[in-house]
Amino acid sequence: MKLYVYCLAEKLGGLPSIHAAPVLGISGAQVDLLKVEDFALLVSEFDGDSAPSVTRDNALAHAAVVASVLNETTPLPFRFGTVVAEDQLRSYVTARREALKAKLDQVRGCVEMSVKIISGSDQADVPQLNETDEQGPGARFLNEKRRQILGSERRSEEAKQVAAWLKEQVGTYVQQEEVSLSQTEKLMVAAAHLVAREQVAKYRDQLTMARKMRPELHFLVSGPWPPYTFSNIELEFKTRFGVS
Amino acid sequence: MELSPNKPPTAEPEIDTSHVEEFVEQLSCVTNSLPPRINIDAQSVEEGLAKLVLTLIEFIRRLLEKQAVRRMEGGDLSPEQIEELGLALMKLEAKLQELKEQFGLADEDLNLDLGPVGRLI
Repeated sequence: MKLYVYCLAEKLGGLPSIHAAPVLGISGAQVDLLKVEDFALLVSEFDGDSAPSVTRDNALAHAAVVASVLNETTPLPFRFGTVVAEDQLRSYVTARREALKAKLDQVRGCVEMSVKIISGSDQADVPQLNETDEQGPGARFLNEKRRQILGSERRSEEAKQVAAWLKEQVGTYVQQEEVSLSQTEKLMVAAAHLVAREQVAKYRDQLTMARKMRPELHFLVSGPWPPYTFSNIELEFKTRFGVS
Repeated sequence: MELSPNKPPTAEPEIDTSHVEEFVEQLSCVTNSLPPRINIDAQSVEEGLAKLVLTLIEFIRRLLEKQAVRRMEGGDLSPEQIEELGLALMKLEAKLQELKEQFGLADEDLNLDLGPVGRLI
């Protein structure tokens, strides 16, 4: 029997519950508390060796278990689909004790906020380059490629400027950030911010004000979430054991 | 597990936007290009290998396009050379499109997540 692992936290008072009902895990499994060293891990017994399929219900169940402890403490979430043997998990936690403590120190008292920004304007105009009606299909093809490449470079530059502006606006409330730029043609910036719990309201207010300054940008702000972006625990697990 | 009376509860997650459809569309593109978990069986290995090889070809093809555009902008190509280069790249794009269809891959499938470095394309 293997274990499905949801998250790791500092000592928990007990099993998580929502409105006094126990939180159910993947496929409706019971969630157990496994204590290893100074840590508490939320796990479920899991039949089979491979990861559970990525379905909406399973993803929501994983998220619900991790979120259920967020009121008490800030956990380090494991990546969805982490299935391991108990002794393997104990060995990992014991060997990585100091690193895990350091990670918990980083996220303690914080939550993750997410900001995604889409450019509201259409693709930037790119100046034409000696285009004539007499051009053959090859030259027209290259001119079209030139337009695409220059448009992409402009969007990338614009995304950098928007990311810098966002940092300027909410940087005071952000302890750590992970920003990715130009993920798709329109999605310019996807930022994850680690924010102290007591600063979340101020962070939101500041963001509301900032949004009014840039009506040409479309925002999606969400959170608070467990610090998925700042845990990176799955990567370490894979590096050490070659499994996930 | 009871919440400590001295500790304020964390607010419920909220999603705040005036442009829901736009974000759903964009985030679907990102989600679709995330690498799926790899199951080692003959079929998935073959598909994964095809995806990896085509991603690398696509990456090189884009580099070639950029280089061609730079040379065209630099003015060191005659109109005949531009036409010839354009036609060659057009054929390369068409061939890659054909291979993608053969392996059932979409444009957004041809990418690699390089972790902290970002995405390949």
